[in-house]
Amino acid sequence: MRPIPLRRLLPALIASSALVAAGCGSGGGSSSGAGGSEAPGGAKAGQGRQGGELTDLWASDVDHLDPGQAYYQSSINIERAVNRALYSFSPKDGTNAIPDLADGQPEISQDSKTITVHLRKGVRYAPPVNREVKAQDVKYAIERSFTTNVTGPYAGVYFAEVEGAPAKPVAISALKPFSGLQTPDDYTLVIKLTKPVAQRVAAALVMPITVPVPEDYARKFDAKSPTDYDQYTAFSGPYMVVNDPKTGEVTGHQQQQKIELVRNPNWVKSTDYRPAFLDKIHIQEGNTDQVVAARRTLSGDGLICCDSGQPPTTILRQALTRNKNQLGQTPGGGTRWVAMNTKIKPFDNLNLRKAVIAGFNRNELRRTRGGKIVGPIAQGYIPPGLPGFDESGGLEGFTDLDWMQNPDGDPALAKKYFDAAGKDGVPVSNGRYAGSQKLLMITTNAQPGLKTAQVAASEFERLGFKLDVRKVPQDVLYTKFCGVPKAEVAICPNVGWQKDFYDAQAMLQPTFDGNAILPSNNSNWSQLDDKKINDGIAAATTLGGAERDKAFADINRQIVEQAPAIPFIWDDQFQLEASNVQAVTNPYDGIWDLAFTSLK
Amino acid sequence: MSIGAANLLRGGDGPAEIEPTDAAEARIAARSPLELFLRRLRRDKVAMTALVFIVALVLVAILAPLIVKLVGAPGPQTRDPSTLDDFGIPVSGRGGGAFASGHPFGTDDIGRDVFSRTLYGARVSLEVAFIATTASVVVGVVLGMVAGYFRGWVDTLLSRIMDVQLAFPVLILAIGLGAACSLGNGCFGGLLKPGKAVVILVIALAQWPYMARIIRGQTLSLREKEFIEAARSIGASDRRIIFREILPNLIAPIIVYSTVLIPTNILFEAALSFLGVGVQEPTPSWGAMISEATDVFDVAWWFMLFPGLALLFTVLAFNLVGDGLQDALNPRGKK
Amino acid sequence: MLAYILRRLLWSVFLLLVVSFLVFLIFYLLPSADPAKIRAGRVQDPDVIAAITRQLHLDRPWYEQYLFYLKDLVLHFDFGRSYLTNTSVRSEIFGRLPATISLALGAAVIWLLVGLPIGVVSAVKRGTLWDRLAMGGALVAISAPVYWLGLVSIFIFSSDFGLIPIFDTNGNYTDIWNDPGQWLSSLVLPWLVLATSFAAIYARFMRSNLVEVLDEDYIRTARAKGLRERRVIFRHGVRSAITPIVTIFGLDLGILFGGAILTESVFNIPGIGRAAFSAIQKADMPIIQGTVLIGAMGIILLNLLVDVLYAFLDPRVRY
Repeated sequence: MRPIPLRRLLPALIASSALVAAGCGSGGGSSSGAGGSEAPGGAKAGQGRQGGELTDLWASDVDHLDPGQAYYQSSINIERAVNRALYSFSPKDGTNAIPDLADGQPEISQDSKTITVHLRKGVRYAPPVNREVKAQDVKYAIERSFTTNVTGPYAGVYFAEVEGAPAKPVAISALKPFSGLQTPDDYTLVIKLTKPVAQRVAAALVMPITVPVPEDYARKFDAKSPTDYDQYTAFSGPYMVVNDPKTGEVTGHQQQQKIELVRNPNWVKSTDYRPAFLDKIHIQEGNTDQVVAARRTLSGDGLICCDSGQPPTTILRQALTRNKNQLGQTPGGGTRWVAMNTKIKPFDNLNLRKAVIAGFNRNELRRTRGGKIVGPIAQGYIPPGLPGFDESGGLEGFTDLDWMQNPDGDPALAKKYFDAAGKDGVPVSNGRYAGSQKLLMITTNAQPGLKTAQVAASEFERLGFKLDVRKVPQDVLYTKFCGVPKAEVAICPNVGWQKDFYDAQAMLQPTFDGNAILPSNNSNWSQLDDKKINDGIAAATTLGGAERDKAFADINRQIVEQAPAIPFIWDDQFQLEASNVQAVTNPYDGIWDLAFTSLK
Repeated sequence: MSIGAANLLRGGDGPAEIEPTDAAEARIAARSPLELFLRRLRRDKVAMTALVFIVALVLVAILAPLIVKLVGAPGPQTRDPSTLDDFGIPVSGRGGGAFASGHPFGTDDIGRDVFSRTLYGARVSLEVAFIATTASVVVGVVLGMVAGYFRGWVDTLLSRIMDVQLAFPVLILAIGLGAACSLGNGCFGGLLKPGKAVVILVIALAQWPYMARIIRGQTLSLREKEFIEAARSIGASDRRIIFREILPNLIAPIIVYSTVLIPTNILFEAALSFLGVGVQEPTPSWGAMISEATDVFDVAWWFMLFPGLALLFTVLAFNLVGDGLQDALNPRGKK
Repeated sequence: MLAYILRRLLWSVFLLLVVSFLVFLIFYLLPSADPAKIRAGRVQDPDVIAAITRQLHLDRPWYEQYLFYLKDLVLHFDFGRSYLTNTSVRSEIFGRLPATISLALGAAVIWLLVGLPIGVVSAVKRGTLWDRLAMGGALVAISAPVYWLGLVSIFIFSSDFGLIPIFDTNGNYTDIWNDPGQWLSSLVLPWLVLATSFAAIYARFMRSNLVEVLDEDYIRTARAKGLRERRVIFRHGVRSAITPIVTIFGLDLGILFGGAILTESVFNIPGIGRAAFSAIQKADMPIIQGTVLIGAMGIILLNLLVDVLYAFLDPRVRY
């Protein structure tokens, strides 16, 4: 289970200039891509043996097959194989999108209010639709996302400025064509915006919201509320989920059990950059016991795993010592921390928070996730690889902030800060907290997060805190507790944030900006509301280049100075493959790319 | 026959509770004075051994802190990071690792002592089982006697309720209730806080009908006996007859079935904890320990083994005593 | 006879109604998360949540919601759709039935084949060392929690790391029509583990029944007539001792058809029990209702079947 909340997979929004610069990557054989992602076996992405069947072991299911609704990492993973958005990311480069359904880079007008995208010719839907993909299909795909029948997760967030888009989702019966989406011919889509934000909208064309949806076929399914299109999805990618060739009913997806992918018979290789080596891909779900799934993968044939991130530590140990070439390791681009609610006593006291961090054994926290091999101890909130990381002191962090210096915990220093807190009126005694109220701590019920929480709880108790620990499922943790300020949770030990895109703002703003505190689905778990930080973020947003990196490094420092949380790891992501599999990770999201994976 | 044996989590993976129809009547017929019953029981060496084990276990649970100290093991919440390797996995090895001095049963996945956690786990198990059993017995006995004594619509209503419950996948219901009440501020508008109380309530709710059925059957046949007739003819009130005349005659079966319910409830609590809807962190519970061990049991077998064995022996001891009690009560069933 | 079956059928339908009503009530009163918020996913816009609330009829009073549910159920055998994924609950559950039934039936065959003979032998050789060992062993088997037994058996027999690596314990379950060999190999150990405590119970039950029956007058008569002991035991004793076991068997099987949560979790079998458990954790009400109802249907139907069967088997039963 990913401890990162609602996985946001929005890369390269800010780096949109890079997007324009990226070369066209069609015909996946080319190995000249920038920063090529190396498969564990040493082979480059794009090379492999044609044919064969692969089984992918998952713990859970996709949230939706309907590209308009797809949101979580696992759904995006499947969409990449069965559908084609206008732009997408090849495993060779996770930061710069390349044209997929589009034929060339988006053309952006001088006033930054119009985007013109040309579509490839010859891309055809799988049965039963069979016909060629047209620009009108993309138009409908975007429009339907604004209905209550679909409620696309990306619609309002990134496409609100499209001319004619409703401010709130409407019923599909009340949906009017958007004046801002025009299709002068079957292969041209013109997007008109009400504000000059074309760069950003163009960057967001990688989202599955731009996967074509044939209105003539889909309309009757969308008429239902919620839409039935999940069960009748039309596919445009190299693969398709097994369906009834007459009605289009998706028969190859059984919830929490399996998804069966086969080749899309109408896919034309010359129109796509994906090599699509495999003939069939079985997604086998319900492998909630990751130890079993991982072990099966290491010793098996034609298997890969695991959808939910890091394999259990016992497997990691085995894989790193014995099956090193069966392990895919990519930087996670995220930070994990134990959040202290700065709105709740006694964590409203800065010295006390510093005392906690100074006394905490962060090394032990990290060890619950597999120790140093999994990643360095986090010294701040901008993870390695993101702009602003080097400006924040790199792996060393801010060396002058003494409470961050000893990851094993420093009792003497903790005592110093406890005493300071005591002077502020916080009950302390003998280098420990001495208050008697029980602090509410909400933990996940799944490993390895549970272990992290257990260690965190025992560290807090060692420092004198009394806790009321409640174990809940991960979804509930966010939707009912840590993400809801009203729930008044004092400690959330299982939170963290992963890059939305390659920019520090996306790391720091949702998590520590006081203006970003929401009544529900809140991700500023510490509820840090520091005017200096809030203003700093607002000011830095408009900056660019080195100035921007420096500004966010400063904000990062101010956050660490406020000691709102105990950051403990910048972890890598691990994926496993059987010895006869040549799997390729897509650095965009750190998991295996099915359309590039092959058998040896 | 032994209904006790039917431990089980109806609705789950355990066999159904077995309804002792014919035997129940036979038992009444063979009812013997308490003295005779005790003498027979004392002769049952196996049951007596098991009884001694249970008494010892209760003592261990009560004196857990003392014993842990005597053995020299750390407390149940103390972590000993030196027993974990770089990956955070408990390691076994000569003169170090999980079995380093002071850890007779090794350490768990975050370095806590399995021995002391297993001892403390007995507390939760016994506490929950005893209280839940008492609750379901009290409710079951009262309602069973009422149904059996008054018959008529009261009986019909209660019997139908029991029928409905029989048709319920009870484990799913229990997990549902447990999950609903363990999440957040509890259920019923925050009246029921997450923790032991929820587990006890869920178990009692699931178990009372069995007791009620048994007691109802016994009451039905008792109320036709001459001494009840006699009491009624001298003008005794219903309440007096129920509590003074009938109840004393039910003591033996109540004890027997309580003994049978306890191990069932121990397993019930462990199963709920195993599924993550039992007692809350960081209270050690055998079921939760086994659940936590599933990720590392191939390399750290001890973490799974000891709580499981503790569970096995405890339940076995109660079952043996229950068997002994039944045999003593109903010697015809023996040989 | 027909009237009896009809009466029982009506009662079963009534029971199902009551069960569905209770489940609805319980999970309506004790929700662990707001379904509309779950459904809304990333779009936590109050208007969107309100719209979803209306779509799912969550703004109606609970009894109206129940009637909506009931209407679909009775008219279309439609259990509704998952709050989280919008998939049909019916197809979700029916897709999982093969796994659950495979597990239950296989285990049932084993426990009958193992449990009953042990019970018979123990009853006949009452008081002997064999009897004591068998009954003692049975008690141990009853006392072991099934999930722990599962883990221990994996530790011992797993083909990957086991001490005696002979069973595939990697959760390779596949439906029998896909690959019968893999189906079998993935289920052998779960069958054995699940059957253990049942076999023990059935052995004990068989033994005590048979012991009682063998004390009956007609058995003495049969013996006095000079019938061979084997014939007495099997033709007369076992035959009547087994009748009450049919009842229990029906109940047990019915319950297992509703999903064996613990065994399914330990062995990674994608059955109904697992679906129910994960749905409960995510407050996915329609799935919970569906699984509980299917479970109840299993219990009630098999009970009905057993009662009818009983009427044929035992002429003393009046209907």
